[in-house]
Amino acid sequence: MDLKKFGKWLQGLKNEGVEHVSLEERRAFLKIGLQVTGVFAGGTILSVVSKVDKVFGAAPEYVDKYPYKPHYSMVLITDRCVDCQLCMDACVRTNHVPHYGWRTRIFERRIVVGPNETMRQFMPVLCNHCNIPPCVRVCPTKATFKDKKTGIVRMNIKKCIGCKTCMVACPYNMRYFNEERRAVDKCDFCWESRLSKGEKLTACAAACPAGVRNFGDLSDPNSKVYKLVHDPERVIWVLRPETGARPNVFYTIDGIG
Amino acid sequence: MKRWLLILIIFLFSLALYQPLWGQDEEEYPQEPIIFTKPVKAVIFDHKKHVEDAGLSCEDCHEDVFEMAAGTAEQNEDFNMKSLYEGKYCGTCHDGESAFASNKKCTTCHIGVLGWKRLQKKEEKKEGKHH
Repeated sequence: MDLKKFGKWLQGLKNEGVEHVSLEERRAFLKIGLQVTGVFAGGTILSVVSKVDKVFGAAPEYVDKYPYKPHYSMVLITDRCVDCQLCMDACVRTNHVPHYGWRTRIFERRIVVGPNETMRQFMPVLCNHCNIPPCVRVCPTKATFKDKKTGIVRMNIKKCIGCKTCMVACPYNMRYFNEERRAVDKCDFCWESRLSKGEKLTACAAACPAGVRNFGDLSDPNSKVYKLVHDPERVIWVLRPETGARPNVFYTIDGIG
Repeated sequence: MKRWLLILIIFLFSLALYQPLWGQDEEEYPQEPIIFTKPVKAVIFDHKKHVEDAGLSCEDCHEDVFEMAAGTAEQNEDFNMKSLYEGKYCGTCHDGESAFASNKKCTTCHIGVLGWKRLQKKEEKKEGKHH
C-alpha cells in the first residue's frame, strides 16, 4: 500500500472516539508512546520512563566517560551566586566582548518556597561545551569545531561566513554575532586568552568571589569538578538535557538557600 | 498688647499642632531601602523589615554597628563577608541565632546587578512622574 492510499484509508476510517477505550488499553498505548520517546531521545539523558538519576547528568553512560584530556568542565554551584557580575566584567575585559554581545550571562528566577513566599535564585549560563554540540553539527563551513584534545567548542573566525545557523542551533543561546570580527563569537573557556598561555582557570572562574564557578579537568579524579560531579550526596543537573547535547557544564547547589 | 500676645500664643500653638509633638517619640526611619554597592553589587537593606517585622529600635544598630549616614560603612576596607562572619556589621545579628546566618540565604539580601538596575529603573520612573 503506498502512502497516498494509506492516507486515504486512514481518513476514511470512522472516528470511534475515546469514550469506550478501557483504562488498560489507554495505559498500554501510553506506554508505547513513552518507550518510543525514550528511544528517540537516546533513552539515556531524558526519557519519561527512565529513573530520576538519568534525568540529571549523572547517567552512567554519560558521566565517567571523558574522551578528552584534559576534559574541561565547569560546575556551577548556583545558590552561591549573588549576581555581582564580576565574572561577566572579567570576561568582557579578557575576551574583548562588545557591549551588545555576551559570552556568559546571569539569569534570575523566583522559586516558590511557601505560601506567598519566594526565593531569588541566580543562574549563570555560558557555553556548555557539549559532547554532541548542535552548533558544530549545523555549521556549513566547519568554522566552529570541537577541539579534539580538550573538548572545547571553539571558533575559527576565518572560516565563519556569518550565517548564524549555529546561533539558532545552540540550546543555550550562548552565541552572538560580533560585528567587528564579522564572525560569531562565543565562550571558549578562555582558551585563546588564558588557557593556551598556561593559565589554569577561566577569567570568570578566577573572578568569582563566591565559589560559584568551579573549573577544571573532569577526567582528573583529583580535580574539584570531578569531586563535585561524582559526589553521591549532591544533585547534579544540566540545562536542557532533552536536547541530547550532553553538556560539560553542570549545576548543583550547596543547599545554603 | 494683650491681644497681640493671644494671637502669638494661638500662632505658636497651631505650629505645634502642625508638627505633632507625639511624632517625636515614634521611631522614624528611611522608607526607601538602603542599597550597598560595595564591595559587590548589590545588597538591599530595608529599614521597614528590620523595625516592624524584626522589632528592632534605632539604638540597636545606630551608631554602634552602623553610622546613621547611609554609605558610611561601604567606605570601610573591612566591609565584607569575612567581617560579617566575625560578627561585625550585619553579622552582629545575622549569626544564625538572632537572625539567619550570614553564610546562608545569600539572595535574601544580595539582589545582584539585575535587582539593582530594576530598582534604578523604578526610581527613574517615579522621578519622571514628578517632573
